[in-house]
Amino acid sequence: MFATQGLGSEGDATNKAVAAFEKANPDVKVNILNLSPTSNTAYQQLTQRFISGSSTPDVATADVIWPATFAKSGWIQPLNRFNPNISNFFPGQIQAGTYNNKLYGLPWFINAEGIYYRTDLTPTAPKTPEELTSMAKAAPGQNPAIKIGLAYEGAKYEGVVTSFLSFSGGFGGGLDLNHINSAQNVQALTYMRDAIYSNSISPQSVTSWQESDVQQAYLGGQAAFAMNWPYIYSLGEAAGSPLKGKVGWIPFPAGSNTPKAALGGDSLVINSKTTQASAAWRFVQFLSTDSIQIDRAVSAGDPPAVKSAYNSALFAQAPYYQQQKAVFDVATPRPVTPLYPRVSDVLQTQLNAALSNQVSPSSALSSAQTQIKSILSGGG
Amino acid sequence: MAEVRGKAVERGLHLRERLSGPEASAERLGALLIAPTVILLVLIVGYPAFYNIYASFQYFVLTDPGTEHFIGLQNYTRVFSGVDSLSAWGRTILYTVISVAIQFVIGLVFALAMHQNYRGRGVVRAAVLVPWAVPTVVSALLWKTNFDPRIGFVNYLLGVAHLPGANTTWLNGVWTSWTVILVADAWKNTPFLALILLSGLQVIPDDLYEQAQIDGAGILRRFWYVTLPLLKPSIQVALIFRTLSAFLVFDVIYAITGGGPGNATNTVAFINWRAFLVDTDFGYGGAVSVVLTISALLIAVAYLRILRPST
Repeated sequence: MFATQGLGSEGDATNKAVAAFEKANPDVKVNILNLSPTSNTAYQQLTQRFISGSSTPDVATADVIWPATFAKSGWIQPLNRFNPNISNFFPGQIQAGTYNNKLYGLPWFINAEGIYYRTDLTPTAPKTPEELTSMAKAAPGQNPAIKIGLAYEGAKYEGVVTSFLSFSGGFGGGLDLNHINSAQNVQALTYMRDAIYSNSISPQSVTSWQESDVQQAYLGGQAAFAMNWPYIYSLGEAAGSPLKGKVGWIPFPAGSNTPKAALGGDSLVINSKTTQASAAWRFVQFLSTDSIQIDRAVSAGDPPAVKSAYNSALFAQAPYYQQQKAVFDVATPRPVTPLYPRVSDVLQTQLNAALSNQVSPSSALSSAQTQIKSILSGGG
Repeated sequence: MAEVRGKAVERGLHLRERLSGPEASAERLGALLIAPTVILLVLIVGYPAFYNIYASFQYFVLTDPGTEHFIGLQNYTRVFSGVDSLSAWGRTILYTVISVAIQFVIGLVFALAMHQNYRGRGVVRAAVLVPWAVPTVVSALLWKTNFDPRIGFVNYLLGVAHLPGANTTWLNGVWTSWTVILVADAWKNTPFLALILLSGLQVIPDDLYEQAQIDGAGILRRFWYVTLPLLKPSIQVALIFRTLSAFLVFDVIYAITGGGPGNATNTVAFINWRAFLVDTDFGYGGAVSVVLTISALLIAVAYLRILRPST
């Protein structure tokens, strides 16, 4: 049994890959268990099965932040005995799947969060956060359909942590758990808040927006800039899209700092109680072959986790993956710790509180810092 | 099939025969008949409850296997001293009082309206009950959509009526978020109160009203001196049910705000859910549920005492 997320074109790509696998391996039948498209909910659906000691799902899709927690709990097994070809994956994602020097999550597809812009409105991408703000302010005057300067996800869920991480690069910040309340991070959070309240380039409702809301705003032609994941690219460039030929995508501009793009994407993990370990590994390996990865990349917009899949065969069908690689190159993993769910919970609450203007960015981040320190030191 | 039933009947007869001997008492039969229920309850309620109490004195985090150990009252101190704990208790109590008050008043008005005799009463009764039949998560998401600034009807209506607030981003503020939650919860649960109060109204004999009327009592006095006192048992049941479920509120909040913005709609039951299912901390989660359960019992006892029917 294979537990995975993804509906629509992602679901179709999964079904197609499963059918191909079953054809090549007639002795294995793969049942798909669909998990919630919301990250937090899917996480609970999986952990509940693992906690109960279930031997299924044999293979599960794990968000890049989960393997450490699953591994520490003994729910998934190390994959090293199968000799995976580690060098063929992006190092950031291998790092995210590794716990105590053992690989637990084999990358399936990579994701990173960057800024979408409109090449018809801003032919040259902004180079600094301030430049982005002034371009976003000017955009509605250039095109009356534009109602939103900058769309990003600010709801109280995992997405607010990734968007913060992606913004933070622009100010030299990041998610170093010992320096959450650094001056750079305060600057980044202030930028996100000011976008709503003083620069008025983002609507107040971004504080309850998730990816799909940002997606609607950008693909509907209402947003000049939007923080989002690579899947938007293929949707925007699809036949019949009003944005065809106008999509641009860059890491959030960082001026003289090193840009960051929150690493996302999914890894594949194998249940430690599975009775079908070798079949499970054959399936996992099959999903990371070049042709299956390219198929998924073209039809569902999920960028290959396998480096060798970035070849002429892919670029011929979907040239934009050349531009996307620039964002993946600066992909930055979130902290790899088995306590990540609790750390993230604190960050989600504090970031969302600052964005909805209940507390100042600096007190939100100092409060997050205190709580995270106490979680990491084993206290409350 | 018939044969099987025949055997069962035979066995039943045999059982009754054995127990109807001179020394067998009706009590023993009673005990035997409720035994399956009691055993089932002990298994599915008693065991988890006691295990939960045991867990609440342990460090017991599922993502940290092999480290369970006794830590005394530490989990219980966290129930009141943890981050946002006290505020969550305050919010829970305030929410309980406000939501139950609103729903009780509207529910009573509905019950009185449904009790009157008029054409189409059946349709009105059915219509009032519809929201109650909708699952909570569905009704909560429905109201989340209704209050959505882009696609919801609430802001649209406010705009059309030239009322203030047409541009409110409801889920961005503390009080506006609570408003959405209160409305969604009232829409869903008021019918339940109305139903219970209606059943209470129906058993009040009409001649009491007639006598009161002959004695010269107006409509308000009749309501105050006849309806309300005789409605007490129903009010008691209705309030106990609603207060307890408001006190343990989780589903509406989970579906509408997720506890946000920030922690603004974080309640104790929400903390409990997060402890169990996000942090998989069964020690702390256990302590929160023990305290919640005791509080709920206290609330129920208080209602039983305050609203004891006068004899």
